[in-house]
Amino acid sequence: MEETSLWQACGPAIRRRSREVVNQHARRLYRAARGMGFSSGDAEDLAQDVFVTFLETIERFEGRSEVGTWLFGILHHKAQERRRAHSREDLRDAVDEVFEGRFKADGSWREPPIPADRLVAANQTAEALRECLSGLPDQHREVFQLRQFQELSAAEVSRVLGCTINHVGVMFHRARVQLRACLEAKGWGRSR
Amino acid sequence: MMTCKEVSTLVSMGEVASAPVTTRMGVWMHLAMCRHCRAVRRQMALIGRAARLVAAAFEREPSAGFEGRLLDHLRS
Repeated sequence: MEETSLWQACGPAIRRRSREVVNQHARRLYRAARGMGFSSGDAEDLAQDVFVTFLETIERFEGRSEVGTWLFGILHHKAQERRRAHSREDLRDAVDEVFEGRFKADGSWREPPIPADRLVAANQTAEALRECLSGLPDQHREVFQLRQFQELSAAEVSRVLGCTINHVGVMFHRARVQLRACLEAKGWGRSR
Repeated sequence: MMTCKEVSTLVSMGEVASAPVTTRMGVWMHLAMCRHCRAVRRQMALIGRAARLVAAAFEREPSAGFEGRLLDHLRS
C-alpha cells in the first residue's frame, strides 16, 4: 500500500496556507538559526524541521498567536533538541561574578566601563562581536539574537521561549555583560 | 538615589523604557550625573549597531531556491 505523506494528508487550504507561510517566514527562521550559531546546513535542516512540526500542529495553531511567534517557538524547541543531540552542554556561567566584580559593596563602580569617546566604530566592533558571540552559552546567545538581530520585543521573546519577560531581561543582561567583557578583553576602546 | 549597579543592570536588561515612571526618572537623573553609566548606555547602543552588522552578513543566505527545497521536503 502506498504511504500518504503529511503534505498529501493536509487539505488544499492548509497546503496553500503552508506555502504562504514558508515563503513569508522561512528565510527569517534560517537566519535566526544562523544567528544562534548553527552552520548553514544545520540552519537549513532546522528550518525544514520547523515547517514539518508546523504542518503537524497547524490544527492547534490557527488563531492562537502570531504565526511568526509560533514558528520561532518551534525553532527554539528544535534548536534545543539539536544541541542536546550534539551534547553541547553549557556548564559555565560565571556571569554574575564578572558583573558583581565591577562594583563596590555600595553599588558604585569599582572598575568603570570604557569611556564612550574611546569606543571603536560599529564595523570594527562587529568583527570582534562575531567571535564573542560564539563564546556565549546557547540560551544567552538565542535571547541576544532574538532581541538584537530579529529585533523582537522582550514580550515577544518571552512568548517564543515560554518564560517570563523578567527572565528574558535577565538573560539579555547576562549576554551583554559577557559580550562587554569579551569585547573589552579584545581591546575594545584601547587606543590604536 | 539609584546606584550605578542598579542603573547599569536596568540599561543592560533593556528594560528602562518599560520600567515604572519613578524608576525611569531615577535612571535619567542618575545618567545625567554619572559619566560611567552613560558610557554603559553607549556601549549597549554600539553593541546593538554592531549586532545589526553581524546579522546583515546572514542576509546573503540561504542560497536561491531555499523555499522550493523546503517545500519539496514537506511534499516528500
